Parts: sequence; C-alpha cells; structure tokens
Amino acid sequence: MSAPAPTRSRASTPEVIPQRRPRSPRARWILAAKALAVAALLVFTLFPTYWMVSGAFDARASSGAQSLLPSEPTWENFRYVLDEGGFGTFLKNSVIVALLTVLASGILALLASVAVARFKFKFRTAILMMILIIQMVPLEALVIPLFVQVRDLQLLNSLLGLVIVYVAFSLPFGIWMLRGFVAAVPEELEEAAYIDGASWGRMFWSVLLPLVAPGLVATSVFSFITAWNEFIFALTFMDNADNYTVAVGLQQFFGENSNQWGYVMAGSTLITLPVMIFFILVQRRLSSGLVAGAVKG
Amino acid sequence: MSAPPTDLAPPRNTRGGVSPRTKRKLTMSTARPWLLLAPALLVLAVLLLWPLLRVVLFSLQDYGLREIVSGRSNYIGFDNYAEIFADPMLWQVVLPNTVGFAIVAVGGTVVFGTLVALLLASLSRGWRTVVSSCIMVAWAMPAVTGTYVWIWLFDADRGLINGILLGTGIIDDPQNWFTDRWSFYAIVVLNIVHHGFPFVAITVLAGLLGVSKEMIEAATVDGAGAFRRFFQIIFPTLRPVFAVVIILSTIWDFKVFAQIYLMPGGSGSNRSVLNLGVWSYVESFAQNRYGLGSAIAVLLTLLLLVVSVLYVRTLFKEEK
Repeated sequence: MSAPAPTRSRASTPEVIPQRRPRSPRARWILAAKALAVAALLVFTLFPTYWMVSGAFDARASSGAQSLLPSEPTWENFRYVLDEGGFGTFLKNSVIVALLTVLASGILALLASVAVARFKFKFRTAILMMILIIQMVPLEALVIPLFVQVRDLQLLNSLLGLVIVYVAFSLPFGIWMLRGFVAAVPEELEEAAYIDGASWGRMFWSVLLPLVAPGLVATSVFSFITAWNEFIFALTFMDNADNYTVAVGLQQFFGENSNQWGYVMAGSTLITLPVMIFFILVQRRLSSGLVAGAVKG
Repeated sequence: MSAPPTDLAPPRNTRGGVSPRTKRKLTMSTARPWLLLAPALLVLAVLLLWPLLRVVLFSLQDYGLREIVSGRSNYIGFDNYAEIFADPMLWQVVLPNTVGFAIVAVGGTVVFGTLVALLLASLSRGWRTVVSSCIMVAWAMPAVTGTYVWIWLFDADRGLINGILLGTGIIDDPQNWFTDRWSFYAIVVLNIVHHGFPFVAITVLAGLLGVSKEMIEAATVDGAGAFRRFFQIIFPTLRPVFAVVIILSTIWDFKVFAQIYLMPGGSGSNRSVLNLGVWSYVESFAQNRYGLGSAIAVLLTLLLLVVSVLYVRTLFKEEK
C-alpha cells in the first residue's frame, strides 16, 4: 500500500538468478515465454501511440493507404493543421486555460492543505470526508447547472469561465495530495523557525513552502493535465471556434463524409506530446498520491 | 468561524505563542486554519456543492429552453423521474450499457492489470523499469486523442483492422463496427482497458513487491502451484490494494463520456449505444430538456454515491 521504498533493496529478484545459471530446458522455456509476453504487452501498449504519430507524418494517412511505416514521410499534416486548421489558436487557448488553472488551484490547494494537515480544529475530519466524497461526484452530472451558472455570469464562450470550473475540479485532489506532502515536513523544523523568532507567515514562506515545493509541482502537473484534457465542459461552453481548446478543436478535422485522418492525427500528436512528457515526469507521485497518499493519516 | 477566544486551546495550536498577548494569539491560531481554508471551501461550495443541489432542483422541474432563458422555475414534482422509469430505453438500453459495460471494463482492466503486474514483478529490475515506463505511455494518452486513434483503427473505409481482415480474406466487405451495439462497446472496452490497466498494474506491482518473499518460497517448497500461491498468499495480502483499485476503476468506468460521445453515432444519433452520462447530455443539450437530463444525472450520481461510500469505507478501514 505504502510507497515501495523499503522493498527496493531486494528488488533485484534473487529468485530468478539461481534459475538462470543452470539454464535447464524448463527455465529456458519460462524465459522465452516471458520474453514473448513482454513483447506482446509492449506492442499492445505502444501501438496506438505509434499509429497516431506515424499517421501524423504520413502524407497518405487520409486516403487510407497507410502502411505500417509512413510511406511518404512529411510535415504537411502539421503545417496544414497549424496554418489552415487554426490549431495554433486552440493550443494558445489551452495553454492559457491550463496555466491559469494551475496557478489558481495551486495557491488554493496549498493553503487549504496546510490547514488540514497542520491544525487540529473542529470539523477537520468532516471537511476531509467532504473533500474525499466530492472527488467522486461525476462532473458529467454537473454540466447542466454549471452551464446555467456560467451563463448567468456571462462567461460562456470565455476562457475564464472554463478556468473557474477547472479550478474547482482539480481542487479536491490537489488538497488531498498536498496534505500528504505538508504532513511529511517535520514539525520540529517549524518549531525551530518559531524559536528563531519567525512569525507564522515567515515560517510558511521560508520553511514550509520550499519543502512542499516538489508536491506542489506534482499537483500542478496534475491540474495542468486535467485542464488540458477536459472535453465535456469545453464542448458545452464554447460555441465560437476562436475559443476552442485543443480537445474540442480536433473535431474541426472531421468532414461530413470523409475523415481527414492525417490532420486529426497531427493534431492529436500535438495534444498528446506535452501531456506525455509531464505525465512521465510525475507518474510515481501521481499513482502513489491516488492510493497511498490518500491512505496515510 | 469565530471560536470562543477564552477557550483553552490545546497546546499544539499555540505554536510559539508563549507571549504576553496569549489571549489574542489564541484567537488568531484558532482562526488561522479557517482563514487558510476559506478560499478553497468557497470555490468548492459555489462550483461543486451548489450545482449539485441545483441539479436536483432542476430534475424536479420541466426545465426547457424557455426556463433557461427566463430563469424562472417550473416545478412538476417527480414527473421527470416517472418518465425515465417508465421509459423502456432506461431498462433495455441505457442501464445495461452503463452497468454491463462497467462490470466488463472493470473486470478486464483489473485482471489484465494484475497479470501485467505479476509479469513485471518477475522481471529483473532494469527490464521492470523499462517496461513500466512504456506502460505509462498508454496511461498518459489523453482520452480524446486515444479515442480518435481507436476510431481510426476500426474505421470502415480507412481503418487498419478492416484492411487486415479484407486482405486476409476473413471478411469480404468492409465492416462498419460502430453501428452494432456489441461491437461498438467492444471497442469502448478495448479503449478503456488499454487506458486504464497501467494504473492497476503499477499499483498492484507496488503491493506485490511488498509481499514477503519468504512466505512465497515456503509455499513453493510445500508444493503450492502458481495459482494457489496467488489466491492463498498474494491476493489476501493485497486485498486492500485490490479494493481501492477495483472501486476507483468502477467509479471511472461508470461515468465514461468522451470515449462514447466521440465515437461515430455515440453523440445521440445511435440511440442503442447511449449510457447514463451521454443520455443525460443528449436530452439536455440536443433536445433542450434540461429537467429530464438533470433527473438522469441525479440517477448517475446516486449510483456513483453507492460506490463512493464503499470506497471511503475501505479507505478508512485501512487507516485503522
């Protein structure tokens, strides 16, 4: 359940080594079966991504004549998507929305997580429970009321309307995850700061914040991905193509009868790239945050 | 918010407050957590709790285009719910699509993810790192773009799958995989399992590495086969891990939206593939029946609430 750190010391599988030395026929079969399983797994896992990237570079992807390797490698799909397809605008919109979301939800989540991790107060457990439960609310169920609410605020078709909604969505998980990071900072460090005469605010800036920074980065990446990938609200709130985010903008390349797969895949590649980079950077923290971090008291 | 200032706050809260102004310090330190929480709670209340209440209110109204423009309410009691429950769509199409799909997808994701975790655990450390990093790629793929790739693969005219099947002579004419409810959902399951198994694999792997090697060796010496070792040692030890993984996957799979909505026919034109989430959306934003759509959304929320309560109870049982 908790992080795999203590087990890592003997992770070099002592079980396999004695098997390998004698290389009995049975051991060789097991090894071959394992190699086959790994190969099959990698093909299954990576193929869709490979197909997307290869389609993006294939001049003939849209005509259905694509083979396993791009037959005519080209940048043409990317050029079309960015120039004529207006994908540059969508990318810009998505970056703005995602960065504002990260900034706002990072600040709010940090303050709230300090409160629940460091202070004992009435209703603390009740608030933690509420945050946990609220994470489970299907956002799809809130489209209708939020649509009405954002419309009343005159924020339909504006990027700010999306930002407000995304901040709310990434907040519960952010608080939940940062709570673990704040709790991990030894209280003695804080006390030392007080003894040196620091005020609470000074202690927060100079002691707590630098130590929680890695957690803040992980949380920010998570809210970035949330905002970047979100589809249903972007679809509902925006009806002017100038304000589309990338997830919705992709639909532009679907024709009435024929789908321009080369363009769709070029756009998809542009969307996926930043997410993959960020994701791989924080995946360890993300998966442990979902499970282990949530369990720690 | 304004806690009694004269109260004897526990010593933890005073935080170096051993000053002559103890009384004021105490007030400050009781107020501080609330000050820190206030902005976040405000956002959550306005943007999650209030809409949650509002969707229930909408579901009790005949809320159409007129009401949405004027903002006036139009209560009709439980008529929307009566209409939904009387609609054969719910029982024959939407509920089976939602629940049946969730069961198959969760089962597929968890079983496949566990098998991958077992495979990873048996690899040497170097290979384990390489393979688990590759798996991450599938997890990192955004739902929208991943769905488009699957649509393309199964596209009737230009898809790879049809190309292969035609080329090898298994089928004679291009097959449209998206019109039939079963093949439609088979593709959705493939999409969801592909996207969801890495989380299961990585989480279960972390647990597997913590299972005592001695116990497994002892069982092997005693002649227990791989199956018995898994079900009698590994599974019971990892029970809490499996509980969390299964419940989280269930929550995610109950509310899939983009993966269905984006598929050909998935946005309402093929009514036999609707699930609760898409049905609610289509009734609201395509038919302008926001009241009915809200009632469906409430139904989905209640279903998920049951699963969530299970989740929270598992987590807190863990903590003890």
